[in-house]
Amino acid sequence: MPRFFCVRDTHADRLTRAWAGLIALSLASALLTLVPVGPRLVGGGILLLALFKARIILARYLDLERSPAWLRGFTLVLSTFAALIFALYLV
Amino acid sequence: MSDASLIDELPGELLMWVLIVSELLVFGAGLIAFMGVRLTDPAGFAEAQSHLYRTGAALNTGVLVTSGFLAARALRWRQAARRGAARLALISAALLGVVFLIIKGAEYAGKAAQGISYETHPFFLFYYLLTGFHAAHVLAGVAILLLVAWRDDPRNIEAGGQFWHMVDLVWILLFPVIYLLG
Repeated sequence: MPRFFCVRDTHADRLTRAWAGLIALSLASALLTLVPVGPRLVGGGILLLALFKARIILARYLDLERSPAWLRGFTLVLSTFAALIFALYLV
Repeated sequence: MSDASLIDELPGELLMWVLIVSELLVFGAGLIAFMGVRLTDPAGFAEAQSHLYRTGAALNTGVLVTSGFLAARALRWRQAARRGAARLALISAALLGVVFLIIKGAEYAGKAAQGISYETHPFFLFYYLLTGFHAAHVLAGVAILLLVAWRDDPRNIEAGGQFWHMVDLVWILLFPVIYLLG
């Protein structure tokens, strides 16, 4: 296997899993829009999946998993943002 | 004392984190304003949203998260003294940024061909403002990725990568609100 594609260290494994998770969650968002359920449920699901994706980017790509307090802080702020967007969507 | 320790815990450049928080606040405020104005005409917003090219935007999500993955890998490779692999990953990440802009450009061209502009409906004013401002960040990010591929000190790559992940993060929040919440 070419060296460029080798995944040898744990951190690289975690990055690869993060990327796979992001792709899977993006596909799940796309599929959710096709599911014949109420728009409110779909909207909530889409925002929840976006929140999961944002957390993966913060934790793995931006390496905040090394700083759990900051990761919790960002997650709290983004969750509040998503809740506010969802509340406006439901009105 | 404890405050200083907490600040020290942040990985990478502190100023990049200030930028990331600032950008999240700006885009967050824009998206909240978008949802607020939507309350005045939900049916009109849903109708306007139906003209968007969702498949292209979803594809762009895959493009950006893959590009972000390459930028993150570049830093690990550079830290492991694999400069060639790191540079190749950064250039590939930048090329994917260009792919994002091409898809976005095709989307804008499609709107123009339909006679849709920012004046067509308030939805499109927000659409062009938010996605256009984000696209400007993608353009800047492509230039930064190429710059740090050239000046490949690990600290440069880390700072460039932080900017790119911020662009990725903003898109992850912007895409569902603008394109999917009808």
